[in-house]
Amino acid sequence: MQHSSCRLALSLGLAALALPLALPAMAQAPKDSVVVCQTLEPPILDPAGGAAAAIREVTYDNVFETLLAFNAEGRIEPRLAEKIDSSADGLAHTITLRAGVTFHDGAALTAEDVKFSFERAMAPDSKNSQKWIFAPIDRIEARDARTVVITLKSFAGDFLDSLAWADATIFSAKSADKAAAEPVGTGPYQFVRWNRGDRLVLKRNENYWGRKPAIANATFRFISDPQAQVAALTAGDCDAHTNLSAPEAVPQLRANANLRVSVGRTEGETIVAMNNGKAPFNNPKVREAISKAIDRAQVNEGAISGFGTLIGTHFSPNHPAYLDLTGAVKYDPAAAKRLLAEAGYPNGFSVTLRLPPPAYAQRGGEIVAAMLGQVGIKVSIEPVQWAQWLERVFRQRDYDLTIVAHVEPLDINIYARDGYYFGYVSEAVKAAVARTKSAKTEAERIAAFQETQRLITADHVNVYLFMLPKITVSRAGLKGMWNNWPVPANPLAQLHWE
Amino acid sequence: MIDRALRHPSFVLGLSITLLVLGVALLAMIWTPFDPTAMRISARLRPPSATNWLGTDQFGRDVLSMLMMGARNALLVGVVAVGIGLSIGVALGMMAATREGSLLDEAIMRICDFTFAFPAVLTAILILTFLGPGLVNAILAIGIFNIPVFARIARGASLQVMARDYIRAAQAAGRSTFGILHRHVLPNITGILIVQASVQFALAILAEAGLSYLGIGTQPPNPSWGRMLNDSQTYFAQAAYLAIFPGAAIALCVLGFNLLGDGLRDVLDPKSKER
Amino acid sequence: MIAFLARRLVTLLSTLIVAALVIFCVTEVLPGDPAAVMLGLSATPETIAALRAELGLDAPVVVRFLRWMTGFVTGDLGISYAYRVPVAGLIAERLQVTLPLAIMASLFASILGITLGALAASRANSLVDSALMAAAQAGLAIPNFWFGILMVLVFAIGLGWFPAGGFPGWDAGVVDSLRALFLPAFALALPQGAVLARLTRTAVLEALGEDFVRTARAKGLTAGQTLRRHVLRNAMVPVITMLALQFSFLITGTIIIENVFALPGLGRLIFQSVGGHDLVTVKSLVMIYVGAVILVNAGVDMAYGLIDPRLRFGRGVGR
Repeated sequence: MQHSSCRLALSLGLAALALPLALPAMAQAPKDSVVVCQTLEPPILDPAGGAAAAIREVTYDNVFETLLAFNAEGRIEPRLAEKIDSSADGLAHTITLRAGVTFHDGAALTAEDVKFSFERAMAPDSKNSQKWIFAPIDRIEARDARTVVITLKSFAGDFLDSLAWADATIFSAKSADKAAAEPVGTGPYQFVRWNRGDRLVLKRNENYWGRKPAIANATFRFISDPQAQVAALTAGDCDAHTNLSAPEAVPQLRANANLRVSVGRTEGETIVAMNNGKAPFNNPKVREAISKAIDRAQVNEGAISGFGTLIGTHFSPNHPAYLDLTGAVKYDPAAAKRLLAEAGYPNGFSVTLRLPPPAYAQRGGEIVAAMLGQVGIKVSIEPVQWAQWLERVFRQRDYDLTIVAHVEPLDINIYARDGYYFGYVSEAVKAAVARTKSAKTEAERIAAFQETQRLITADHVNVYLFMLPKITVSRAGLKGMWNNWPVPANPLAQLHWE
Repeated sequence: MIDRALRHPSFVLGLSITLLVLGVALLAMIWTPFDPTAMRISARLRPPSATNWLGTDQFGRDVLSMLMMGARNALLVGVVAVGIGLSIGVALGMMAATREGSLLDEAIMRICDFTFAFPAVLTAILILTFLGPGLVNAILAIGIFNIPVFARIARGASLQVMARDYIRAAQAAGRSTFGILHRHVLPNITGILIVQASVQFALAILAEAGLSYLGIGTQPPNPSWGRMLNDSQTYFAQAAYLAIFPGAAIALCVLGFNLLGDGLRDVLDPKSKER
Repeated sequence: MIAFLARRLVTLLSTLIVAALVIFCVTEVLPGDPAAVMLGLSATPETIAALRAELGLDAPVVVRFLRWMTGFVTGDLGISYAYRVPVAGLIAERLQVTLPLAIMASLFASILGITLGALAASRANSLVDSALMAAAQAGLAIPNFWFGILMVLVFAIGLGWFPAGGFPGWDAGVVDSLRALFLPAFALALPQGAVLARLTRTAVLEALGEDFVRTARAKGLTAGQTLRRHVLRNAMVPVITMLALQFSFLITGTIIIENVFALPGLGRLIFQSVGGHDLVTVKSLVMIYVGAVILVNAGVDMAYGLIDPRLRFGRGVGR
């Protein structure tokens, strides 16, 4: 790793100054603490108060718990709910809470807390980012200390599953207001302090209702710069990184005997989104031409070193309803040019590609721009911060093209949403998405999902590139990191040193 | 004077480096070994070889071609940013000098003082967030900060020149202010302005590199040394050359202009010559 | 004397107020609705309106400006849009990184610059002098972020003497914290040290030519004693002035260097809050940076006015 350079002579000479401070690196970390690094820092810590995935990545199943929860395999298991009895019509759900659960401040968990948490999420001034979860709820009744009955207005096949989402976190009425900065939950870890911009420190909840976690002190460190992530892992500043932003560094890290690298899956469909509501993208031929002008395999290779799984539609290959449509649109620049000519753009046109900060988007964007240039579409790249992306691209739909990964699981229903940033309107898709909700059997539901996938791919709504990988790096001996992200979460209770 | 200049080591070295960079930049406008924007993903991260003298980057682009085009962009930043500073700054400075002590003078100098309170990179970050990132906006943001620099120098130097007897004589003879400034003052302050321009040129190149390194300067596919440096960082294990060449290019270019400025100062104003 | 100080104070105050006005106007017109930005993807208009009210965005502009100004006196700078904690606390927390970083960098720069500059002057025109001045030229030309990257590669990843980035926090141990700041401070100090070395060399050479030096040598002091006792003291005035005037470059440098080394300081905070449109934080941060530069410059100005009365009516020094 040491590259000689005469420019370093100066610094080497001055290294003498460093000697008093250059003590040997700290002795090996004690076996009951861990420093987990991750790319993005949460803006706040209240999972029911913002959309940022980073909030979930640090709090889900650590500080906060839900009635049901996703496990590492993506299956839903009971958490705070001991059992759920549903009425025959699927409208009334009687939830029995686990006994002996307390919040970190000592208060016992009661049915009133569940009622409070959901009503907080449903309130008009609620900042919950997934209010649709609670939309079907008619009323919530705390029958006794451990029993809560939720009655729905209409049947919603996905209601119970959605209770495993972090947005349905159970708070205590006493401390919910502080959740953004000093969260108090029922989870296996409790909040110690948050040095904003750098780290979040948690400690084991010694009164936890479940199995006692092996790690006593856990720290999340936030490092967004890909280079700094690699450096921190190599230098031993981090025991693990939840999802490395530098796939190109994987061979280098794999060669390091102290580190273990795993390449797993996320639910992040990475797409080149097109503003369907605006010329020239309102012309299906133009959209098809763009789809054919982009060689996904090359984008995958150049942007994320080939670690992504190619997709042909907006759906995760991890789900049983997935349809492999990668063959439906083939890379064919000649055909793309022909289609552009047919659409009335024989000499192409000029567009702007607005890119959010992640490396996959920035690098993918450069490659996509070069590929579109080959068929005569002149692309100018404009990087934007997340805030501007949300405001201009997502909210105001002020964009031509963008690249982004949609990380929520099962989010194909966005194609049926009016005013969504794709600007795509299709009655057929709306009907198919409605059937995914009203379906009473799993087979019906799968059929409806597959119908939706076929429709959006046939319409070339967006260019479907690949599923974003989860590159987990951990120090040799550290076990229990999630290798896949069925939902963005890093439960620390399963970590242990060997 | 030319004789003395050509015997001055830092002037000669500085001039050679700047001419080299200029030559490369001009050459890049008509020829580069490869298209600096052409990607060949199958040939990515190739180390320096006979085909790609400085290797290829993460997208299989030719690093030498990108560096050459980067030189063009760096010089463009320098020329335009310093040009903005010189043209507006000198006009303001001379105007202030002719009306020394007036409200106008006071106003111009106050605004200059005021601008100096805003750290350049910080303000450039704000401007680029506001106007959107890009080469043109970066040049503007850097150029704005050159205006007060030249305004102050032009004012100070003009005042000195205007205190000389022959200017007083010309004024007494009824020459117009503009005529005096044009004929007598400007030629006399050109030297000091050129020296400062050379220093500002180096600073402008460093500033653009820094902004591009932060990702808010020059945007791809337009090659920029600062951006190449940023892109290279995670590839260091596989391709250290990606981090070495652009950094060395920035350092060389800045060194050239700094040396040229030092040399010019000595040659044009032997009194201030460092022993 | 008092008139001079009073005039300077009035100028200082008016400059600060104008700066505040400019910053306020610019940050309040940045595109994007912070309330919407903070709430993310599927916020409803009512939610956004609720947050706007909570943040006081509905108040008239003048009221908001005055509220902000009084905040600098009372220490209440509002609640950060992004982090939802008081901005003043956030800034105080980040200062614990940036301030020591800037102090360390200034220290390194002065030690290196002054010793090497004096060394070069004492051996003027020797090989040592040429080598040192060549190194100073290189120090001016090498971008500090590139130097930082190279140092990380050698001293953090290669030799493992220092962490590659990040900051453990002062409560995690002073030694560890100082180690985390060492490389970034060094990278920051490089161009400053180069500037100071050149200036010190010139100043020392000038002082060496003065009469008092000849007197001192005549009294029998050695060259080294003369240098330490008389020359350096006289040469220090321009050097310290330069150090103060370089302050603006130094704090600008922290913005980039803190990003290279992932340090949770003010510079990183400002880059993050600009990107996150956390306007409450941005405007107070920019005001603090600008205010610091204005105060330091005014301080140098006044000090000079007091030392050298001739400068009181001129345009100050170092311009």
